Amino acid sequence: MSTPTSAPATVAPAVSPSLWRPSGLISFLVIIAAMAGLPLVASTYMLTLMVPFFGFAIALLGFNLLFGYTGLLSFGHAMFLGIGAYAAAVMTSKLGVQSLELILLVAVAAAVVIAVPVGFLCVRYTRIFFGMLTLAFGMLFHSILFKFYGLTGGDQGMRVMRPLLFGMAFEGGKTAFITGPFYYYALGLLTLLGCAMWRIVRSPFGLHLTAIRENAQKAAYLGVTVSRMRLAAYVISGVYGAIGGVILAVTIGLADPEIVYWTQSGNLVFMAVLGGSGAFAGPVVGGLAFVLLQDTVMSATQYWRFVMGAVLVLIVIFFPRGIAGLFGDAFARLKRGS
Amino acid sequence: MTVFLDVLLGGVFHAAILFLVAAGLQLVFGVQKVINLACGSFYALGAYFGITAVGLASAAGFPAWTVLPVLILAGLAIGLVGLPVERILRTVYRRDESYQLLLTFGLLLMFQDVFRFFWGATPRTLDNAYLAYGTAEFMGLRVPTYNLLVIAASIAIAVALGAFLQKTRTGRIIRATAENRDMSEGLGVNSSRVFAAVFTVGCMLGTVGGALVVPASASSLEMAVELVVEAFAVVVIGGLGSMRGALAGALIVGLIRAAAIMVLPEAEILSIYLVVIAVLILRPAGLFGKAMA
Amino acid sequence: MNISRRTLMRGIGAAGLAAAAPGIFSPAIAQSKPVRIGILAPRSGAMGTVGECGIRAVQWATERMNKDGGIAGRPIELVIEEETSPKDTIERFRRLVLQEKVDCVQGLISTGVSLGVAPVAEEEQALLIMWDGTTQDGVKEAMPKSQYVFRSTDNECEAVMASLLSIKYFKGKIKRIAGINPDYSYGRNNWEAFQQILKRAGVEVEVVAEQWPKVGTMDLTSHVAALKAAKPDFIFSSMLFADLPVFMKQGSAAGLFEGVNLALPAAGWQINQLKKEFMPENIVFGHNTLYFALPNASPLQKAFVEDYMGRYKEAPSWEADRAYFALAAYKAGVEAAAKATGRWPKLTEIIESIPKQKIESLGGPGQFRADKIAEQTFYQGLSTNQNSYDFPTLKTVDSFTADQLQKPPGVDFWEWLKTSKLPV
Repeated sequence: MSTPTSAPATVAPAVSPSLWRPSGLISFLVIIAAMAGLPLVASTYMLTLMVPFFGFAIALLGFNLLFGYTGLLSFGHAMFLGIGAYAAAVMTSKLGVQSLELILLVAVAAAVVIAVPVGFLCVRYTRIFFGMLTLAFGMLFHSILFKFYGLTGGDQGMRVMRPLLFGMAFEGGKTAFITGPFYYYALGLLTLLGCAMWRIVRSPFGLHLTAIRENAQKAAYLGVTVSRMRLAAYVISGVYGAIGGVILAVTIGLADPEIVYWTQSGNLVFMAVLGGSGAFAGPVVGGLAFVLLQDTVMSATQYWRFVMGAVLVLIVIFFPRGIAGLFGDAFARLKRGS
Repeated sequence: MTVFLDVLLGGVFHAAILFLVAAGLQLVFGVQKVINLACGSFYALGAYFGITAVGLASAAGFPAWTVLPVLILAGLAIGLVGLPVERILRTVYRRDESYQLLLTFGLLLMFQDVFRFFWGATPRTLDNAYLAYGTAEFMGLRVPTYNLLVIAASIAIAVALGAFLQKTRTGRIIRATAENRDMSEGLGVNSSRVFAAVFTVGCMLGTVGGALVVPASASSLEMAVELVVEAFAVVVIGGLGSMRGALAGALIVGLIRAAAIMVLPEAEILSIYLVVIAVLILRPAGLFGKAMA
Repeated sequence: MNISRRTLMRGIGAAGLAAAAPGIFSPAIAQSKPVRIGILAPRSGAMGTVGECGIRAVQWATERMNKDGGIAGRPIELVIEEETSPKDTIERFRRLVLQEKVDCVQGLISTGVSLGVAPVAEEEQALLIMWDGTTQDGVKEAMPKSQYVFRSTDNECEAVMASLLSIKYFKGKIKRIAGINPDYSYGRNNWEAFQQILKRAGVEVEVVAEQWPKVGTMDLTSHVAALKAAKPDFIFSSMLFADLPVFMKQGSAAGLFEGVNLALPAAGWQINQLKKEFMPENIVFGHNTLYFALPNASPLQKAFVEDYMGRYKEAPSWEADRAYFALAAYKAGVEAAAKATGRWPKLTEIIESIPKQKIESLGGPGQFRADKIAEQTFYQGLSTNQNSYDFPTLKTVDSFTADQLQKPPGVDFWEWLKTSKLPV
């Protein structure tokens, strides 16, 4: 058993040059390609599970900009899922706007409007304090959704109608819509946002974030405006979260307060760590693994919470670099030819 | 005046319970720098186990007035579960805080099903215990004596904990370890033993809190996740890692909530978050927090 | 205790069944494969206790029906999934329909969840018979003309009935009313309905306090203090789950209920926790569609209650009746359609047939309306502690049928409240 030491920083979420290795983008694109081919082989039910995964994956890409790259753990990120979901609900069922592109724009705008002041208050803190503060804001948002029931429908939430994709309406059943046109729409969006995120993390801005994460004082000394960079990262991750929320809400057909509850934020962190926050594609892998795992465990036992919790505990203890870390090691060993 | 006092007492009662859980959270954070999301689970565990213990005690013929000591002992006893939990947590002390937080989140998920497995989905209550000590009537008020005893017990625990940390040798060692782990190890302190002890005491504060609240309330499956949020509000207001902060934070949350219920019932929950955010804007480190990174 | 989540309930071998149930359906011999019924019910969290009660009842019903030939000669097999958040429950629903290929899905307690699942059922063209979860708002929009969704009676029925009984028993004693209701649409609608009905009946009242504790609030001492300060003479509370026993316990300890009358329309849901020590008598006490100690109960109810209390050492709540009703309605619909067609009926034939069947449920007779909304029998009355249990029973049992408490098809609930002829 290891004796605790006083080193404050210690093993950070797997410090990783792998965050920038081109293999990150390649793995991401491999997953996308697999997903694009999936409708040819998988059952309808499997496809209905994949669409929420795309939503989570988008949100997780943003989440990891904050967590993996900047070193800030948000425990209230489900708030942005909620912002996207409620934006979709208000647009489709209150304002009668069906165009998904417009909905996405509004969701992005709403996320920015909320992320800027909230982020401004939160990024003054790091580490655990940042986590707690984001949790507090997430729960504030949750209780506002509950209280202003005239506007939000309270516990019952708001309906999200089927949107138009590029101005086109699709007839037929909802499952056909979700596993057909919407499946590819969401996948396309994920691809686009994934590539954009790849650009972001490899840009000077992305490198600044990592410098901040490794040593904020040193970065500041070198002329990096730490809090502004952090704020920008927070806002971008919020925007990704809101877009993911729109995808989720369209698949659910409902925006409800449950999606914002703090345990949902915990699940997002769970997914990121499960996949490995130290690799670019890690959180995406984690999202996929989480969705499949939860589906399997829930059908296997009524005590699925216990199993999911145990998986999380084991991952944290034995595989802190997640699935991506496992693959990375195997790959490296292969390369060395041993 | 009577109304005011009545509301005040309600707020203080709520604060007394919150304080115990928050103090456990603070103690562990102060020394191990770990935020324990499973503190809510320890609270619920204390509540469930308290019911079982009182059931056993009354079956064994213990008189009704022993409820309070039985509950406190039950809370202390089941708090020992902190020892094995600390062994699990110990494996990630060297890691980033986010992993420690996640580990406790995993424990929180697991505990929920543990409760359901052992105690079922139906909420459990302890019924005749609440009025075992009768009601106190003064200044036109009528309060169950039990509420007053809980407040007193919570104050006693706060004082004892303070004295222990300030006055005793072990307390000094704990504070030294919290201040500088390397230095205290250099001076011969076995810090892993200190950690185990501190975590277990933190856990006991939660389980005793849960056991104490249960005669007035009930144990239910959702109580753990609900409480975590409130306990977080307390420590954020009071300042992380500060015992005085836990006390002040608990009183503020308890009283603000009581006042909101009296004056503006719709704002019962919102008011707490608003105070949290106001404190963070005005005093980023919380009322008693130290400067932070 | 069921360790495995999937509770498979195969009765006697199906071939044996067809022989054992002579003269029912000869086609059944060809249909030996079991009828799969998907169940969606909460097992954890605040609603876990009522979900569990429904699951127990449906297991009991399955066992009993399977001994008697199952459904049209085919044994019933249950596939149980947990109702959680709307998102996850929709996924579980799709799993039941697309993967498990169940013939019918039954269950749902939370209105928030049912609002998400019901449109999916319509779009998947899958038969869904709901146990509960039909609070007014949104139900209209979410399920305007349902083809595949059979809904339970309106959740507001119990509030309407409790309001009517409050007037019946306490007219002239209701002057200063206070409400403490859960902070969600169910609580808000119930409180609003109570006030509307008082107004309709010409009872002039002053609202002295309104409290909205969040569901799951386990410390209500401050709420009790605030209510006490308002000095009401009548308290209406549609609280449920563990919250209600906590409120009654803390309220009684603080002397809140002295000289105050109460109406608790949803009390029957947690009857086992409402201990006599803190329950004053003569409360308008709601048991919804199943009063476990009904004096002139049917043999079916008696058998069920006896088995249930013997096995689980607690009284069943109305969720048991809802679960039984859903299964019995499906069985009756299928069997009638099978008789008419001489084969196993198609889904559309089953759906058409269900509303035509009178159903003997645990709590009493009921039937689905043509618009697929259930009509059942409701029980409430004044409570008494003079019994052999450790919780209250009813001194006087009033029973209403749903057509007296529920809005007719196509009418807005609030409009109906203003204009209907209430059975006072």
